Amino acid sequence: MKEPSSNKLLKLFLYITVFAILAPMVIITLWAFTNQWSWPSLLPTSYSLRAIKEIFAPYGNVFPILLSSIFLSLTVALLSAIIAIMAARAVVFYDFFGKDLIDFISMAPNLVPSTVFAMGIHVAFIKMSLANTPLGVIIVNLIYTLPYTINIMKNLTESIGKDLEQQAYVLGASPWKAFLHISFPLLLPGIIASITMAYIISFSQYFVTLLIGGGKVMTFSMIMVPFIAKGDRTLGSAYALVFVLSTLIVFGLINLILKKFQKRKEKYNWN
Amino acid sequence: MELELKNISVTLSKKEILKSINLRVEDGEFISLLGASGCGKSTLLKTIAGIIKQREGSILLGGKALDKVPPHKRRTVIVFQDFRLFPHMTVAENISFPLKMLGLHKDKCRERAVELLKKVKLEGFKDRHVDEISGGQKQRVVLARALAAEPVVLLLDEPFSSLDINLRKDMRELVLDLQKEYKITTILVTHDKEEALTMSDRIAFMHNGEILQYDTPENIFKNPVNTIVADYFAEGTYISGEIKGNRFISRFFNVDINRDDGKYKCLIRPSALKVNKAEDGKFQVVAKIYQGDNYLLKINKINSSLKLESILNEPLDIKEGDKVSIELDKDKLIFIPE
Repeated sequence: MKEPSSNKLLKLFLYITVFAILAPMVIITLWAFTNQWSWPSLLPTSYSLRAIKEIFAPYGNVFPILLSSIFLSLTVALLSAIIAIMAARAVVFYDFFGKDLIDFISMAPNLVPSTVFAMGIHVAFIKMSLANTPLGVIIVNLIYTLPYTINIMKNLTESIGKDLEQQAYVLGASPWKAFLHISFPLLLPGIIASITMAYIISFSQYFVTLLIGGGKVMTFSMIMVPFIAKGDRTLGSAYALVFVLSTLIVFGLINLILKKFQKRKEKYNWN
Repeated sequence: MELELKNISVTLSKKEILKSINLRVEDGEFISLLGASGCGKSTLLKTIAGIIKQREGSILLGGKALDKVPPHKRRTVIVFQDFRLFPHMTVAENISFPLKMLGLHKDKCRERAVELLKKVKLEGFKDRHVDEISGGQKQRVVLARALAAEPVVLLLDEPFSSLDINLRKDMRELVLDLQKEYKITTILVTHDKEEALTMSDRIAFMHNGEILQYDTPENIFKNPVNTIVADYFAEGTYISGEIKGNRFISRFFNVDINRDDGKYKCLIRPSALKVNKAEDGKFQVVAKIYQGDNYLLKINKINSSLKLESILNEPLDIKEGDKVSIELDKDKLIFIPE
């Protein structure tokens, strides 16, 4: 039985969460259209479209960079999810020498400060001529996203287990088909979570991408962060707004595509 | 098709689970692997299906070696105790799954699934989700799904142990009916002696990774090769003695028996003992336990350490503490060579 008081507490928690997300959004939106906002007025004292004009200006190259940045992060997210599925299966289902070490190493990028980690990788990447290339940026982003995606997939893979796949084998399914028809649909929620997580980590990555990309690989964060750092709040907010909106659109699309995939599968089976 | 196991040994994480198993199952035969949990019977089933690889030995199906055939091409279908229905599919989708793997057209799959649902008496359940049906119904769906895979050998891994006792009888009958109809070579793994005795053509009794005896239910019950097998079916009292010139001689009684000479243990199961009330009886009833259909009497020989048990079918006028005389049913005595 739920007690009414715990229900109230839950509601309060919900409101706080919504507020914590919505309030900054409202402020960012206001700032993006602000010309002057001096203390102590509650609202901006004058508005302007300066930031919007700047973003849409053809010389700014904002949208080509945004698109290539989305593409880069999506690549990272998909690769990260695929590697995580395989790594999770390896760690959960098989016993091999050094399994615990691999389990630990997959967490390492989160344990060492990212700056330290990135410096080391930079040196290594220069030696391998991966520095200043999109491939290098993708790889370094992958290293940062994998701890999260592997953990998501590991827990889910553990809970689903191998029994159902075994049953599928004896019913005539090859290992690949057993995975595709049985485990994959059951892993789908985790796959969506992994892709979303990896995307947002990669898309907001600034320092590491800057270092490894060497300014040759431009991402949206790299044009946004300087404005925030410089203190141009209006432009910074406008970029942040684009950042959030584009991410929401991408998430919406990912959900839509995967849900369609599920629905199509259902239809196929029902007929 | 007939199945033959030759010297199958299995080692799992450095522990020897199966030790040189030899077994032959004829085409269309129904056999049981009987034994206590941990004796390796489920491992043997998984080895036949190819989920576990044997360290040594060979599996022959219809005379052809299966050793290099992957599980999904063996057509040895396991029905597991925990059902293992695919949770993201409906009843019909579950049954269609092996058909889809066989490459059947989806209309055909649907048709066959409905047909199989009828066979297991679950018409009208095809669009139910697998979470919405009861344990007994799940078992039927699992059976239908196994049949859909067109098994050459059907492997049942304690399929009834998660069902209510009332349901088990129905399910056993259904399985036997289907097995006869499709004439599938079937191996049932069970720890339930009654299940093994009533259902199978032959029983392979397993203990510590070995088959101790492989015989018909009647023979294995009446002529167990050793005390482990004998005790599993029905416990009783052992009396050591010797057979000489077709006569069993022991401290307590002598009886004529047509056996080779040698040392034997005679097992007296409760069913082999008849009790009569007698004032001058040499035995005394120490306990009378009600068991539903009958009573179990525990009897001690006066001034002796000999303890016996007997079954009393009618609530005769025998009470705890009464003196009784006993009568042995010679045909029900079991002699095990030492």
